[in-house]
Order: sequence, then C-alpha cells, then structure tokens
Amino acid sequence: MTIPFTVIGGFLGAGKTTLLNRLVRGAGGRRFAVLVNDFGALDIDGGLVTAHGGDTIALANGCLCCTIGDSLVTTLLGLLERQEQFDHIVVEASGVADPGRIADLATLEPQLARDGVIVVVDAAEVRARAADRRVGDTIQRQLKAADLLLLNKTDLADNLPALRAWLGTQSDAAVLEARHADVPLDLLFGLDRTGVSAGGSTADAFASWSYTWPEPVARDALMAMLREAPGEILRAKGIVRFADAPDRRSVVHLVGRRLEVGDEGPWGDTAESRLVILGLKPVLGFLQRE
Amino acid sequence: MTITVYSARRIITMNPNRPFATHVAVRDGRILGAGPLEELKGWGEVELDARFADKVILPGFVEGHSHAFEGGVWKFPYVGYFDRISPEGKRFKGLKSIDEVVAVLQAHQKTLPKGASLLAWGFDPIYFGGRRMDLADVDKISPERPVVIIHSNFHVANANSAVMAKAGITRTTNVHGIVKDAKGEPTGELQEMAAKYMAYRAAGVEIAAVLSDEQAVWRFARVAQLAGVTTATDLHNELADSTVEGYLKATASDDFPIRLLPAFAATSIAPAEGVPRLQALMKKNNDRLRFQLVKIVTDGSIQGLSARMRWPGYYDGTPNGVWNVGPDDIDRILLDYHRAGFQVHIHTNGDEASEVAIEAVERALAAAPRWDHRHTLQHAQMADAGQFRRMKALGMCANLFANHLFYWGDIHYAKTLGPERAERMDACATALGVGVPLAIHCDAPVTPIGPLFTAWCAVNRLTASGRTLGEAEKIPVADALRAITLGAAYTLKLDEELGSIDVGKRADFAVLDDDPLAVPPEKLKDVGVWGTVLGGKVFEAPRSGR
Repeated sequence: MTIPFTVIGGFLGAGKTTLLNRLVRGAGGRRFAVLVNDFGALDIDGGLVTAHGGDTIALANGCLCCTIGDSLVTTLLGLLERQEQFDHIVVEASGVADPGRIADLATLEPQLARDGVIVVVDAAEVRARAADRRVGDTIQRQLKAADLLLLNKTDLADNLPALRAWLGTQSDAAVLEARHADVPLDLLFGLDRTGVSAGGSTADAFASWSYTWPEPVARDALMAMLREAPGEILRAKGIVRFADAPDRRSVVHLVGRRLEVGDEGPWGDTAESRLVILGLKPVLGFLQRE
Repeated sequence: MTITVYSARRIITMNPNRPFATHVAVRDGRILGAGPLEELKGWGEVELDARFADKVILPGFVEGHSHAFEGGVWKFPYVGYFDRISPEGKRFKGLKSIDEVVAVLQAHQKTLPKGASLLAWGFDPIYFGGRRMDLADVDKISPERPVVIIHSNFHVANANSAVMAKAGITRTTNVHGIVKDAKGEPTGELQEMAAKYMAYRAAGVEIAAVLSDEQAVWRFARVAQLAGVTTATDLHNELADSTVEGYLKATASDDFPIRLLPAFAATSIAPAEGVPRLQALMKKNNDRLRFQLVKIVTDGSIQGLSARMRWPGYYDGTPNGVWNVGPDDIDRILLDYHRAGFQVHIHTNGDEASEVAIEAVERALAAAPRWDHRHTLQHAQMADAGQFRRMKALGMCANLFANHLFYWGDIHYAKTLGPERAERMDACATALGVGVPLAIHCDAPVTPIGPLFTAWCAVNRLTASGRTLGEAEKIPVADALRAITLGAAYTLKLDEELGSIDVGKRADFAVLDDDPLAVPPEKLKDVGVWGTVLGGKVFEAPRSGR
C-alpha cells in the first residue's frame, strides 16, 4: 500500500497554518503525519500531546507533527522508516517554495502516492503580491502548480468576482472558497484507504456521490466523464474493473483537474467497481449524464 | 615559559607598521613580536628554530566560506575533472573523459561489499565537449548495485538503471529534474530535488550523519591545513546534537589543525528557538571551535539557473531563479538575530537577492540601530558598484566567490550572465575601491579549498578556457593576500585575534615554500604550502600530494 502525499503551498500569510491547525484538530481518526516549517506556529493543545521528542510531536488522536528543519528530503526519508505510525503525509511548503516540485517527491518514491497540491490563496493580498517584481513570479508558479486552490479570506476581498476571473487566468485548478480556511477536510485530503471520512465540518454546500458498477466499466467513458467534469467536482477516487483490463484492480484518482489511473494488482474477488466523487452541490448536469 | 623564535626567508605580516620581518617570536601560542632577532631577544631567553629559514611565513589563511561537508564527501571517491588533494595529502588526478570516470569507478566498485551502493562526487561534464554521461555509461560501472555520481555543483547527479528501476522512473515519469533524451527516455541524469532524493535514497538516510560526523570534521580540517588554512568556517549547519558532539570531540584534540567556525542555519528552526540555542552553544566555545555565526540562504546559484536576478535576468532568457527564503522571511529572521547581537552571513548569488538582503539590513538597522554588526553578503557575485556603495554605507562586508571565475566563468560569459556582467562578477576591485571590507572564498566542497588559488583567481581572473574575465576587476597580489588573511578575519569578527602577524595575536601561520609577492602573479597558485602553525604548534603537510 502506498501512502497518500499532500502538499500545501501558498505565500506567507495566506492561511496554511490555519488550515493545518484544522487538520490536526479535526483529523477524525485518520493519522496524518504533518511536516511543518515551524512548530511554534501550530496551535496545539498541550493536553493532546502524548510525546514531544525534539523535532516530532505525537498527538492523542494519532497525528504526528514533524519540523522539516534544514532538509525536507532527509526528514521525509526518516519519516518513511516508521510508516506504520501514520496513514497520510501532509507537507507544508515554505511560503516561497514551488509546491509542485515538492509533490514530485511522491512520484520519485514508490512508497508514496501523490495526492493533491493544495495552494492557499489570500484573497485580499494575492493580486498585489502577484504584481510585486520580486515575488510575483513565485506566486504565479505556486498558482500554476495547484490541483486545488483554496481561496481564503474571501470576506476580505475587495472584488471577489474580479478575483475569481483573474485566478482563472492564472491556474486551471478547481477553486474552493473559504474564510479562516474553514472547508471540509475530505475535500482537501480525500477519503482514506477504506473510504472512511477525514471528518471535519461538512457544510451544506458540499456533497459526495457514490457509484457502483457490477459489470466492467468502459475506460474511455469514465475517463471522459471525469475529464469533462465541471469545476464543482473537486475529487474522485475509485477502485475500478475496466472492460479492457478486467483482471486488474485499477485505481482512479482525481484531485482538481489532475486525473491519474494506477494499477493495484489483480482484481481478485471484489464484487463491484466503486467510485466516490466529492464536490460542491448541486452539479445536476453532471449527475444527469450518468 | 619558552620563547620560540622562528627565522624565515621572509615574513609577510599584514601589519602595515612592520609589513615584513625576518623573525617571529612565539610564547604560549601567541605572537610576542615580529622583527629582527636582536629586538626579540629583549623578551628574555629565546630558542631559535631555523626550520623555516628558507620558507616564507604569512598569517595563517582564513577561509571565510567553506563547508565541513568537504570532509564528509572524501569518504567517497572523487571523480572530478581537476586534480584534487585528499585529506591524506594524496593527489587525485583529474579525470579527462567519461570513460576515465567509468574506469576508475569500475575498479572502485570491486572493493565494495555485495549490494552496497556506490556514491562518487565531483564529476563535471562541462569540459567534455557537450557529451553527457548516460545510463549506458553508468551501467558499465555496475548494472546491479545502486550507483549515483554526484556532480561538482552538488545539484546534479547521474544514476544507473538499478537506481532508476528501483524508483520506477520511466519515460512516462513526469517530474522536474529527470533529464530525458530526444526519444523521451530518461538518461539517468537527475537535477535538483530529484538528484538529492535519489542520492540519499541510494545511500540510505544515515548518510546524512556520516557526512558530518567527527571523522568528517577531521578530514575537513586536514584538507584545509594542507592548503595553509588555520581558520575555516562551516558556513551553514543546522547544528544537530550529533554534529555538535563531533565538533567538540574533534576540536578537543591538540592535534586538530584548524580553528573551526560553524554558522548556524537560521531557517532550520524558528529564531525564537534558534537564538537561545546558539547562545547556549557559545558556552561550549574553545580555542579551536567558535559558535558565533548565523547564516541565511536567500537564493540558489547562477549556474544552477536558480539565482534571483534583477532585470534583465539570465542572458540566455532562462526565467528568474527561486527564493530559498523569501524577502519577508529574510527581513524577519535577520531582524531577530540582529536584535540578539549576532553577525549574520547572507548567501546571495543573484543581484536581486543582494538587493533584498541589503534592504533587509537597512530596515534592521532602522528598527534596531547597532554599531559594527558586520553583516556579510556571501558570494554577492553579481553585486555592482551601486550595491557595494550601499553595503559600505550600511557597514556591511562582502565575501566574494573568486573561484567561480575559473570554474564557471566561461559558462557565465556565454550563457548565464553574458559578457558584460560576467566581466564584472565577483567585483573585488570595485569592493575595495568603494571601501567594503573584502574576503574571497572557495565554498568547498563546491570548489577545492585553497586560499592561494582563490587569491590567484582574484588577481588573474582567468577562466578554465583561459579567457581573462574583466581586466578592470583584477586586484594586486598584496590585496588578494590580505583578503585571505586579515580581510577574511574581519568578516568573521576575528581580526583582533588573528589574520596578521602582530603582537598579542594567535601564532597561526601559513608556511610557504616561496614568496607569493615575488613570484609572477600568474604563478601565485603554484606556490607550495609547506604546512601551518596553529597556536604555536607546527603542522607539516605530507609531501606526497604537493
């Protein structure tokens, strides 16, 4: 089994730490290993800490927080030595890092599965930052690298429609709007290996759809459906028996606009193909096509 | 209390009141004086030591920007293009073709246990007429065991098929830094994060500790000593407990041949924790180990296409580089260490990075006025006259990367900077003219440690292909010698203690076979280093490599 690997990027002040605090507090039984630049910024209730060992804090809910220190590569390799201790890795990219480059690590490491690149955007500041001659190109690279954009602090934006339109010119990623980084964690971090929710507050605006198919599925049709899915579809995950590979267990994974199909071995005796889609509701047109 | 007086062919003191002498008197590891024997006898009974009678004595060289990692990598075979001297004093001949590299490593792999990874370092393909190493080459070394050959810049590597297969890298792998050929197949060349990850993965994560353990510190000190260095920096280290322990053990020995100054990697932990940590470490300082420096790395490297440049950017149109630490964080981190009274060394390769760092110092000074901070730009390779004037006005120092002129000057001329800016890169003459305190450096292991070579670069500004890169920025030999002694000591706030041969200073000397002021300037790099004296203790360099 591979470990899902999520990268959270975004410029200084966008709300990455707020999001990580929500994740650590609301993990809902999933054990996240969260790699951060600075413990101090995390707001961890001391009563929840079960062990504090220099560069790692273990929490009562099963999550681990580790500082990245001088080298993400060595920190990550060290973490993989004890992978029985967690289910999912989340890396906080530095405010100037290209989160896409960090996500590449999951492609290089067979034990990891690239999940999503989530870039948190400060609705009030991003346009000024993107126009800054020293950091503008850094911001643009971050936006471009995103699978999901978390447009945060929407209450502070001057002109939200104009901002949305501009973001569309900067990135193909699906956009999720929020205040105080308050979004359902499932949308950002997906369902776990067994389909269990990551927990968190599921606001009325979000929903999930589940499909099952007893017969093998036409690959082209499913791929086309997901590729052409409206922007409101943020995630999909499925174990599928394709008609052109009925003996294989194909894993379909969509985060934002990034669609990947992997192979997880022989199909075995699973009864049916299953696909779960997470997104904003309602997305009627999409459902009707089905 | 014995007074030892060394006689020498000539002593070059860096003390303008008495620039040259024939004798130097040492007591308790410190300099009693330099002058005629008769004068020195006034201190009491002396023992005359004539072993340096035909040698030339200079203040011990001070390497203001090197990394103890140099000692770490010598655990592995060196496969560079240029000759390089090992810690044992053995000269490794430069390898002049890919086939030579393959042959050397084929022989080496036979000495390794079955299944063990092979790591090598120092490889530099830029001199092989465009031919790059590929999987077929590296597979000839060993098709089974993991093989990773790290390039001299430490940002690129070549792997064999075993490494690529283990990571599942194929033509469909879409990752930045995996080089593919015209047909779309991976060539085994890996860049940046991909290179680093695969090297660590092949070697095992425990390699990180091996690269900075006590033995690595010893090897680093020996390599430095062979080059006449008596004080060297380890200029970016997160100072893990195991590393600190290695430093403490190594420097406790009277046989440890250098004074070592680690610089704390400021971004490894938050300043609120880093400041007290460094303050606590300073209590462990001894004669040969000094915690006092802080380092911030702002951008990447020019040749790695990751330097932050001002308009108009890269000559060949490559997009601007990347920030390691962005402008806002530079301000914040610098201010915290500045307020706490530390001297901060700031890595800036591109001129935009230098500009941001200069402005950060300006703001820190406005927020917390401080005299004699000596915050130093490290590399500052693209700094122009205007930036040097600002640095002067703010009380900053510069440690310029003179060795770059030789090793990458041709690339800078043709591709990265273009002729005009390449001719004024590492602008030693401008810095001195403006009055910015100047040091020059090697950045070992990126280039070999060797202050006389570094001085030669600043004096002659010759590239590897023989081009003179900027006549106007050449500096005289005397100035270059000052930059590798007292000048570098000033940038480390050690100039009152070492860096010149003057009463009361530490008896740290570089003992040379010849007079660097008398040889033709183009021969400066060829002046032999007999050895060093550290605190009055004599360290003769092994002869074989010289």
